[in-house]
Amino acid sequence: MSLLHATWLPVVPAGSFAKGKAPTAGLLIWADTWRVAEPVSPTAEAPFHPLSLDLDDLATWLDDNNFWSEDLRQATVTLTLPSRQQQSRGTKSTDNSPWSGLPLQSGEPLPKDLSWWPWQVEGWFLKPGPAAEWLNQLPLSGAYEAGLGDDLLWWCHVQRWCLSLIARGRWLPESADGKASWRPLLNREDDRRRLEELASQMPQVVAASSPAPQLACGRPRSNRLLVASIVDKLVDGQLREAFQPGAAGLDPLLAAWEEGLASRDGKLKLDEEEQERLCGASNHWRETVAGKVAPARACLELFTPPEGEELWDLKFGLQAEADPTLRLPAGLVWAAGDSNLALGELQLEQPGALLLEGLGRALLAFEPLERGLDAATPEAMQLTPAEAFVLVRTAAARLRDVGVGVVLPASLSGGLASRLGLAITAELPEKSRGFTLGESLDWRWEFMIGGVTLNLKDLEKLSAKRSPLVQHKGAWIELRPLDLKNAEKFCSSEPPFSLDDALRITGNEGETLARLPVHAFTAGPRLQAVLEQYHQQKAPDPLPAPPGFAGQLRPYQERGLGWLAFLHRFDQGACLADDMGLGKTIQLLAFLQHLKAEEELKRPVLLVAPTSVLTNWKREAAAFTPDLTVNEHYGPRRPSSAEALKKALKGVDLVLTTYGLLQRDSELLDKVDWQGVVIDEAQAIKNHTAKQSMAARDMGRPGKGPRFRIALTGTPVENRVSELWALMDFLNPKVLGDEPFFRQRYRMPIERYGDMSSLRDLKGRVGPFILRRLKTDKSIISDLPEKVELSEWVGLAPEQKKLYSKTVDESLDAIARAPLGQKHGQVLALLTKLKQICNHPALALKQDPTDLDASFFKEFAARSAKVQRLEEILEEVMEAGDRALLFTQFAEWGHLLKAHLEHKWRQEVPFLYGSTSKTERQAMVDRFQDDPRGPQLFLLSLKAGGVGLNLTRASHVFHIDRWWNPAVENQATDRAYRIGQQNRVMVHKFITSGSVEERIDRMIKEKSKLAEDIVGSGEDWLGGMDVSQLKELVTLSED
Amino acid sequence: MTLSSNGITTQLGDEGLSQQPWWVEQWMELINGYRFKKRLERAWAYAREGNVLSIRFEGRRVHARVQGSGEDPYKVKLWLDVLNDEDWNYVLEALGQKARWSAQLLAGVMPQDIERAFAASGKRLFPFKLQEVRSECTCPDKVNPCKHVSAVYYLMGERFSEDPFVLFQLRGRTRAQLLSDLAVKRRALLAKKAKEAKANPDAEPAITPQAHPAPVSIREPKRWWRYGAALDPGLVVITPAMEGETGLDEAGAIPLAEDGRFPEAGKHFVEHLKAQGTSFGATAMATAMAAGSNQDD
Repeated sequence: MSLLHATWLPVVPAGSFAKGKAPTAGLLIWADTWRVAEPVSPTAEAPFHPLSLDLDDLATWLDDNNFWSEDLRQATVTLTLPSRQQQSRGTKSTDNSPWSGLPLQSGEPLPKDLSWWPWQVEGWFLKPGPAAEWLNQLPLSGAYEAGLGDDLLWWCHVQRWCLSLIARGRWLPESADGKASWRPLLNREDDRRRLEELASQMPQVVAASSPAPQLACGRPRSNRLLVASIVDKLVDGQLREAFQPGAAGLDPLLAAWEEGLASRDGKLKLDEEEQERLCGASNHWRETVAGKVAPARACLELFTPPEGEELWDLKFGLQAEADPTLRLPAGLVWAAGDSNLALGELQLEQPGALLLEGLGRALLAFEPLERGLDAATPEAMQLTPAEAFVLVRTAAARLRDVGVGVVLPASLSGGLASRLGLAITAELPEKSRGFTLGESLDWRWEFMIGGVTLNLKDLEKLSAKRSPLVQHKGAWIELRPLDLKNAEKFCSSEPPFSLDDALRITGNEGETLARLPVHAFTAGPRLQAVLEQYHQQKAPDPLPAPPGFAGQLRPYQERGLGWLAFLHRFDQGACLADDMGLGKTIQLLAFLQHLKAEEELKRPVLLVAPTSVLTNWKREAAAFTPDLTVNEHYGPRRPSSAEALKKALKGVDLVLTTYGLLQRDSELLDKVDWQGVVIDEAQAIKNHTAKQSMAARDMGRPGKGPRFRIALTGTPVENRVSELWALMDFLNPKVLGDEPFFRQRYRMPIERYGDMSSLRDLKGRVGPFILRRLKTDKSIISDLPEKVELSEWVGLAPEQKKLYSKTVDESLDAIARAPLGQKHGQVLALLTKLKQICNHPALALKQDPTDLDASFFKEFAARSAKVQRLEEILEEVMEAGDRALLFTQFAEWGHLLKAHLEHKWRQEVPFLYGSTSKTERQAMVDRFQDDPRGPQLFLLSLKAGGVGLNLTRASHVFHIDRWWNPAVENQATDRAYRIGQQNRVMVHKFITSGSVEERIDRMIKEKSKLAEDIVGSGEDWLGGMDVSQLKELVTLSED
Repeated sequence: MTLSSNGITTQLGDEGLSQQPWWVEQWMELINGYRFKKRLERAWAYAREGNVLSIRFEGRRVHARVQGSGEDPYKVKLWLDVLNDEDWNYVLEALGQKARWSAQLLAGVMPQDIERAFAASGKRLFPFKLQEVRSECTCPDKVNPCKHVSAVYYLMGERFSEDPFVLFQLRGRTRAQLLSDLAVKRRALLAKKAKEAKANPDAEPAITPQAHPAPVSIREPKRWWRYGAALDPGLVVITPAMEGETGLDEAGAIPLAEDGRFPEAGKHFVEHLKAQGTSFGATAMATAMAAGSNQDD
């Protein structure tokens, strides 16, 4: 897969364009891609980038992804890119051999000896105006998966800033050097910070362009100046296109200026003398409004008066833009004289002039400063209390906006902390266990301003001083007119304080109690323990496997069980979102068994799951919790009346049903007083308007008695904002409010604009109810074996079932009647066909994908339960960015599945099988192992792909159909599970329950000792079975 | 007499002065203090009719072309007594004594008490009376100042508002020269201080110059492709300008001398820009709102 990049061309070199005049600056869009390439040695000109996408392919890619624009122009430019030294295959490196190598691909691991080399790259060029328009259409949340490089996200953020500057009118027209242009004003505090951030985080590929096509590397320049000039050009381009001249009654100078501002090249049609006048006036107009783009700025630091004195000290100095804590006092600045001054890593030229210029602008915003600048080399001055107050309250903001830093004492430095708020200490009442949300806590409170606590009496005393800045307990704080009133109001009302409040306050920043912000919260040890567990600041207390549980829990599973029980006591819904393979099913079963053992399980629990995993649940429940009575509400013979259902549920602990039936039989199921509702593969309810989702959420609401809610999912739910609402509405409806509110408050800001503060807030809110552990977590790794084998039990879809039974019936008769010589072959043919049916009817019916239309693929998954389950698991694999090997014994199946998977994920899925040529094989393997954005799925035939290959980049292995010989399967598994593997390997073995596959599985397990005897014989030995043995092997059993 | 098509005129009335920067006001006071009132009034009318074709500051002189009764315009030259190097040295010395003066000059502000620095040399920046402004005119009129010269006087005041530092230029130093001379003075002063400090062992420790660190892209090659920052919270919702906080609001009127034939041209220019700016802003906000909407399901 290729990855798109955008590089800024500050100067477009001559000859870069095929035809037409080259504009002065703009954006080059290009892409690199993975392919096998020979190392290149440079000649007099920079060599062509061997891994870049050519113009036509790039155009096609842009067009396919709706990124094509009529304004794109061809260009070839030289970029300086990180490269790797590499000798051509077959040549030996000597000291004299010339440099040869390849440019690195983005995302490729960096070699130790990295070098920078110029490469010629073909791409498409946009002038600043169209570039801005083009950037506007890119997703703001980034789309690395879709082939957009990180640098494009950076560009999106830059353009978003430009839009903000335009919306806020932070620009001024300029005329300079005979040209009229629109210039953004970057002097405001926020904008200066943005410039710093975008400059310091800029991916260097943005600045990779070299000035000439000759063999020369571009030298990294100052990012700050580069970003400022990019913003200059982007804003100019946008305003120039939007501007409509037409002011009436302009004199010739201004009319020419207008014309220049609207024209493409900006040329001022004035004679030299007039131009000089206009430029002079423009310069003078702009000078005091716009700041300079420099690495450091002048800064004023306010100090509180020493004990017993009145006057405040204000010290002058320089401050680094990038890090406001880096400061230099004026004394050092003056002492540096003519030489450079180091400020952190910065080298400041002419620091004295920098400081003086800033102080000159500071005078415009804070007049008392004039007094302090009487000396030749002033370092500080003193302020009266009134002046200090003006500085704190209003002038500081103004000063920052003209580009002068202001540092205030901590207790006065603004923000919420300097406002009147509360400091609270609380603990659980002695007898409480801390399990009821509404229960009141023992608590104490004090007022707090600027980090200093005080009581109402203190406040009254301080207010009486009638001074806005007062000293209390040694710190200076700012009293606001309404503070005393609010404090009195709070005292007279004294609100209650519950566990609920404590959870809320400790969960989010900036929470309030009775409208006062809570500045400090201290919990007693017992309350602290509850809070920590609730907010998952520490691992949940483990709960050992309950009596009656037939199996062992790994330590992290015991913690998961403890967590489920903890939230259950609070009557809070819980979402267990552990990574695939960590045993969610087991934890849930253990939880139900725990309730049973505690004699708390009095009414039936409803478990809703996709049809494809129902079988799995039944198997696991039977294996791990034999004490639980499990019933299935499924199939045509399920109860259809309330009475019948009631009867069927007598003594039943757990009822399994599907999402489809939940919706269809909702009225019926609603009549049962469930003790709890569990939804498995909870992403099934993500679409909150879908009937299935509404039915599940309705079912979660309390019935006659309370009803616990648990959701299970292997997907990272907390990252899927749009899907969170439905999930939380099922679990704990109050947490996220109603849907329209949720969409406005969280979904839009986060999804469209990538707003992190909303995301943090959202995560804080849902965090207590979601437990997600990854295979890679340190605490989990030690509990897990390096290779985890998972049996994926699946059923048969109706079409499969019909076809299977029919095939068995017909073939058994035929085999019974067949002459001995043919019997052997017929048995094998039957087994093959049945296994194919378990995979997919289309395989058994020999339907050829190339003859079939799109509707074939639309219904493809619905026809096979195995494919449905496979898709569900692959979804999680893809989501996690993992890679997987898929093994099958049928080449035709490989082709079908390849077509289907490529169709579904719009991603290439290579298929390696018997007729794949040797070079193709090597290319597939190299690509899978080495391409940073290579395919995530790799299909292999068991025979061709089972030996010899090294595919350690995969951390999942799927055996889609079973082979009689476990050794062959294990050998295939070892393609991934071998030296070089960095992760745990998950091995998924699909078994169709009740079918020949289950018998094979049982046989493999029982006869594993015999496996050695059968090696190499494949299925041959099966041919010798008699009909009754055969019948037992293949007949579909209903269980 | 025909009115030239590209003449310079003024709309300055008596009230018009109140909005002017102090140095323009001072210039106008100078003119109004002149004793031959009648002659000035005529010159004023003459200027308003657009007879001054051009004014140009060239080095230490002002060159103007004024349309008289003849076919060719008269050439007018104006100049002030230039301060000699020694005088300038005194001025610079004085300017260096107060950080504020340098600070303001560097920030593009003309200090109100600048004359005090010039007083050190016994000279002035502004002429004390109009007679100090020397002039020449190619007209046959023997009187100095003739009405052509007087007409230029009027317009010069406004020209000072375009760039106050032309006054320095007329006295012999451009702003750039002045600033660089000031820097030299400052350095000398600081060097002296540093020397004194060195003699004093309690002084601040000397600063050791640091080597230039390698550019960040070399030190952290990972940064070549990577960017993972979240969108600035302040850019999530694009907000319009606050009252009075656009660049145009802050910059105020354009300091361009007004041409009498195009009354209030500067105002029209800025107002049109403001109207356009509102529409730019609305478009930008609509664009920002729509961003990413194509990903919605």
